[in-house]
Amino acid sequence: MANTIKLTIDGKEIHAPEGMNLIDAAELGGIHIPNLCYLKGLKGIGACRLCMVEVEGLKAPMIACTTKVKEGMAVRTKTEKVLETRKFVIDLILSMHPLDCMTCTKAGVCNLQNYAYDFEIKESNFTRKKFGFSIDEANPFIKRDPDYCVLCGRCVRVCKNQGTNVLEFMGRGVGSKVTTANDKPLHESGCTFCGSCVDVCPVNALLEADRWRRGREWDYDKVKSVCLLCGNACDISVSTKDSRLVKVNAGAADGSPEKYICAYGRFGFDCIEADTRVRVPMKRVNGQLQETTWEDALGIVAKEMKKAGENAGFITPAGILNEDALTLKRLASDAVKTKNVDSTASLYGDESTLLSGGADLESADLFVLVGLNPNQWKRALPALDATIRRRVNAGAKLITINSAEPNISSVAAVNLVGDEPETLRALVKAIMDKGIKADGELASAVSDAPVTEMVEAAAGLFVGAKNPVILSSPALYPAAANVTLLKGAAVSMPVESNAKGIILMGIKKEGKTYGEMTTEGMKLLYAVGEVPLSRRPSTDFLIVQTSHLTEIAKQADVVLPAAAYLEADGTIVDYLGRLKQLAKAVEPAGEARSHREIFVALSEAMGTPLKEAKESETKKLAKMKPVVAFNPFTRREELEGATNEIMQSMNMHVIDGSRLLWLTESEKALA
Amino acid sequence: MVVLNQKVLEEINRIKSKYHDSRSCLLPALYIFQREYGWLSPEALEAVGEILNIPKATVKGVSTFYAMFSHKPTGRHLIQLCTNVACMLMGGERLLDVLREQYGLEPNITTPDNRFSLVIMECIGACDTAPAMLVDTDFHGNLTGEKVIDILEKYK
Ligand code: SF4
Ligand code: SF4
Ligand code: SF4
Ligand code: FES
Repeated sequence: MANTIKLTIDGKEIHAPEGMNLIDAAELGGIHIPNLCYLKGLKGIGACRLCMVEVEGLKAPMIACTTKVKEGMAVRTKTEKVLETRKFVIDLILSMHPLDCMTCTKAGVCNLQNYAYDFEIKESNFTRKKFGFSIDEANPFIKRDPDYCVLCGRCVRVCKNQGTNVLEFMGRGVGSKVTTANDKPLHESGCTFCGSCVDVCPVNALLEADRWRRGREWDYDKVKSVCLLCGNACDISVSTKDSRLVKVNAGAADGSPEKYICAYGRFGFDCIEADTRVRVPMKRVNGQLQETTWEDALGIVAKEMKKAGENAGFITPAGILNEDALTLKRLASDAVKTKNVDSTASLYGDESTLLSGGADLESADLFVLVGLNPNQWKRALPALDATIRRRVNAGAKLITINSAEPNISSVAAVNLVGDEPETLRALVKAIMDKGIKADGELASAVSDAPVTEMVEAAAGLFVGAKNPVILSSPALYPAAANVTLLKGAAVSMPVESNAKGIILMGIKKEGKTYGEMTTEGMKLLYAVGEVPLSRRPSTDFLIVQTSHLTEIAKQADVVLPAAAYLEADGTIVDYLGRLKQLAKAVEPAGEARSHREIFVALSEAMGTPLKEAKESETKKLAKMKPVVAFNPFTRREELEGATNEIMQSMNMHVIDGSRLLWLTESEKALA
Repeated sequence: MVVLNQKVLEEINRIKSKYHDSRSCLLPALYIFQREYGWLSPEALEAVGEILNIPKATVKGVSTFYAMFSHKPTGRHLIQLCTNVACMLMGGERLLDVLREQYGLEPNITTPDNRFSLVIMECIGACDTAPAMLVDTDFHGNLTGEKVIDILEKYK
């Protein structure tokens, strides 16, 4: 733990950890030091000169964002001298800024507007300059209007820090401009449309493309929730106006390396209002799907399920909520009385490969990435890619272990290409050779492993690290976790958001597996959510409970309208084992209901009423107790299916029903 | 696309071996490209980025920060005239008039015969011999109007 430093800011006593800058320290005491270029989590760069403060005993004002707390320091943030300087800076910026506050979307949350208000500057005292830069609005995601830019550099720094490197300062002095290489539009500059730059821009220079006249920040209701579209399960903040979704922002705390969401998380929400939504129950009549009532649909399904009994099967993606999963489990075992309930998680993992412990990524100083290939540009675990790059930019080291060369290896300190279990074996041997002790079983398993120079280098990094974190694909997790017998934590990385929660809720191999149920022929198959199937598996009766009319739903006998993500609350267990809370942002479309409400209604229709699983119950189950024990250095080949393809097809309804379609289409056109 | 000649590649590789990271090679590499091709075309910047494994945007950002790098084709000879404080006090701005009258030059302009291009510099580190200019890589100080014309007549 860092030492605590005692200082005073504006006469208020503040206890701040050693090494903290004055802006953050002041915030601890509820004092805001005006700033434009500072970004929590990144080193201060002292560019805007707005954060000036006076420090007792020092003649010249100090830049708060680059000054660290010192014992006994007395800081004053509102002296005449600093106020005057600050006013001057704002005045200068305003001389180049369009004074459009009356129609500007950013009004109310614009730092520049706030500071001008504080200083009562109506108009700049300097000659007005106008550049008339062209606006980049060629994509449906982000509108870039450099005329509003105050050159704070926040966007440049977040984009660089996460490794995407799209934006940069061009030129210098008053004429400088933040833009892409060769001033091309974003979509021709390697931009992933993650929108991190939008989240940090203090003014109206970077904004969601569709925000014009869709309300200002103060008009919105906001809820904190979680994106369920991939294994990262990123925190999001959802804004709604008049009960409709307006925008999604990254929801993690400022300064956290996890404060990132990808284009899917930010812009996929359009699909909630897509034409493909299922709004009412449907049943097949004379070969055609026809709308019907809930009562009718529930009656039919209840009857069919009774008939099928233990020959019925339930399949679900591992992205449904814990409460839905637990209620589903009850419906299957207590009402329908079948053991056949399984999720897509079984295609790539099981209890022993998915239920790893957690890890603290913020303090990790070494990442060992085993068999994973995160990639922001391909949107494969993009947040993991961004998180690791941010940590690497902050000084952490990366070792990649992969039989192919992962994209992120370009920032790795050591890139070990080769069979993963063998490489892990050699790594453990090399670490032990450097003096870290292990018990007999592990020692004898690695004794004959050949250690190369590269492995030696990796072992050196490992021995020197304080908090190494191993991140592994589920298939390689048992082998990778062996390393933690020496030091550090290991995390198994699923491709779906709630794979760990689903298993903890008890949806795991008991009866037939997901694979068996979709290939072997069931009397009745009940597909919950958007399962990655495009062709109807052989079954006498198919029920699809879904938010969108997916390919498989079109082939169902009964379709039940389910709440989509953002339409239901509940919990999940993320890849780090954290229980995360989701809040409902909008009401389900049409007559749709949450998965668990439907399960309860069905149990009632069957005459064996069940109770909906409560958060208090799921919370108890959501605790992981990973066993740390030696495992043989092997891979679980049967779990190495096409995980990326699973993701692709699972999120098809999101992409097809949102502006993300533009992205995939334009990428296709480029390829 | 820039046709990379072997000489340029070899030179850059030599520089690479001297520095511990590729970012440090960026300025020297840009300098070599400018010298070889006369200016830094978008393709040249892309090539530099690729050779050094530095993001395109970073390369462009660095190159546009320095007035000495040209992002437009230049004439056969590049005149870099300083008009910063010391040179201005010693008559640097009058030299600009001379260039205007004699050759029709304006800042950031190339003469129609493609002989000269002019760039105004913020200090070339020669305040002791102000006013001063660079013609290509040759330094000339203690200038007067006549001297400037005499000197430039040697550059055809
Ligand atoms: S959207 Fe993301 S990748 Fe694109 S410029 Fe902004 S931060 Fe960079
Ligand atoms: S676009 Fe916004 S974040 Fe980027 S430099 Fe300009 S004002 Fe700052
Ligand atoms: S990385 Fe995954 S969880 Fe995060 S926003 Fe993107 S799709 Fe959602
Ligand atoms: S916030 Fe400190 S100089 Fe900009």
